[in-house]
Amino acid sequence: MIGYSLGMAVYSIVVVALYPAFEHSTSLDKLVQSDATAAALFGITGRISSSGGWLNANIYANFFPLVMLLLTVGYGAASIAGQDEDGTLCLIATLPVRRTRIVVQKAAAMALQAVVLAVTVGICVLIGRSFDLSVTLGNLTSISISLLLMGLAFGMITMAVGAVAGRRGTANGVGTALASASYLVSSLAPVASWIRPARYASLFYWSVGQNQITTGVSLEDYAVLVLVGLCAASAAVIAFGRLDVH
Amino acid sequence: MTAAIEAVGLTKIYGATRALVDLDLQVEEGRCFGFLGPNGAGKTTTIRLLLALQRPSHGRASVLGHDCQRNNVEIHQRVGYLPGDLALYPRMTGQQHIDWFGRARGQHDPSVAHTLAERFDVILDRPAKELSTGNRQKIGLVLAFMHRPALLVLDEPTSGLDPLMQDEFERLVRETVAEGRTVFLSSHELDEVQRLADRVAIIRSGRLVTTDTVDGLRKSAPLKVEARFPTPVDPILFSLVHGVSVTASDGSRIAMEVTGAIGPVLKVIAEHDPLDVISRHADLDELFLDFYRESTSTERADAG
Repeated sequence: MIGYSLGMAVYSIVVVALYPAFEHSTSLDKLVQSDATAAALFGITGRISSSGGWLNANIYANFFPLVMLLLTVGYGAASIAGQDEDGTLCLIATLPVRRTRIVVQKAAAMALQAVVLAVTVGICVLIGRSFDLSVTLGNLTSISISLLLMGLAFGMITMAVGAVAGRRGTANGVGTALASASYLVSSLAPVASWIRPARYASLFYWSVGQNQITTGVSLEDYAVLVLVGLCAASAAVIAFGRLDVH
Repeated sequence: MTAAIEAVGLTKIYGATRALVDLDLQVEEGRCFGFLGPNGAGKTTTIRLLLALQRPSHGRASVLGHDCQRNNVEIHQRVGYLPGDLALYPRMTGQQHIDWFGRARGQHDPSVAHTLAERFDVILDRPAKELSTGNRQKIGLVLAFMHRPALLVLDEPTSGLDPLMQDEFERLVRETVAEGRTVFLSSHELDEVQRLADRVAIIRSGRLVTTDTVDGLRKSAPLKVEARFPTPVDPILFSLVHGVSVTASDGSRIAMEVTGAIGPVLKVIAEHDPLDVISRHADLDELFLDFYRESTSTERADAG
């Protein structure tokens, strides 16, 4: 967590510090607009030289979700399946604590790490206000929360898969695959008409894929992210309750 | 006396493998109970079912009066567990393990853990990944005993320990039983089990082979008889006696196991003017090894 947060902090400061050099770059805008599909794959839509476009293109549409997911999916796979494979889960599972509570505590630990990451990035981006970046505190906070919720949802899905399969590799693989597919669908939906209907199934769409850095995160967005996270957490509780621990 | 552990028809099937079949077991409170069997016999599976780490396919079990499937929290409160392949958190020191697990159990008095750590000369200030197997095992012993549980479930507890620490462990078990607590000892170390256990169960290929006191097992063990003759004697003469099986013969020296009455075989020996006759009860080691060694037909049948 510390490594991820420090890394993202440095990266974010570099991104915001570079903005003044590109805020008037019409050539960069033209480059992006000339191949909208390639740009979409990087999460870039609209004018990259705008504050929202710049932050989305460099942090919130791709890099920050990537690092968040590395953290949450990685933790989700390690916390039950990984520990079972390592042999340490039996020591926890023989404590006088209900298995439900164990899952809740692991989810809380995941959330804490994710919050630290999100807050670190948020603070670094706020520094960008002194680098000509105009982003409201409200939108910055809400997109940090929405990406946090997305990260936690994928993390809990991964934990649930791990509790069913009992294998870290399977959990990591499934979690990563789902997150990657979700990213692709959300990124390509604006430029590929046949993918557009599938965007509603993408957690990226609900957290960052509708340009929430500029428009803000709606109650509907929050509701979907929270609901998916809670369903995944319930699945993890049920699965762990039935897992044969080694 | 209440049973500390009671299992009826306990069965566990993993896919096509029957790891445990119809295990009936009873362990009295305030005793040391030995649980023996070869590798893959089902000892660890049994322990996992008793501790509600896994769910049985059939059958039921209770520990300290609590049903294993429904009351695992109550069981875990009163049981100390040392797993067979102990795995600790690599970056945490011994002291950190003790503190963390102590807090997780709501323990506020570290004195028992402290005393145990001194007694076993536990290294407390280095990360677990830097410790040898034996030093990690000592931390595991402290974690199992430190909350003074009513029942200790110990799977290969002396694995990696030097002889001095093995002695210390045996002293600890005797003290624990003297206090009225129960120890369930699963081990390959036959000598240790013989010295510590009041009763022993032997499991093989997922099935219980026998349960008895150590003395009872010794008495029911076959007599090993060896007779030396001046001239070669046909071993078939002894094989024909009821309860006798010839285990070795090289003409004038015949070794046999006698499970029936000793009189008839002594008569046959006497008819051939023996030079020397030696008779002894089988060592428990030999007895256990005989139990362990079985035709593989039973194992194949269960695995199929």
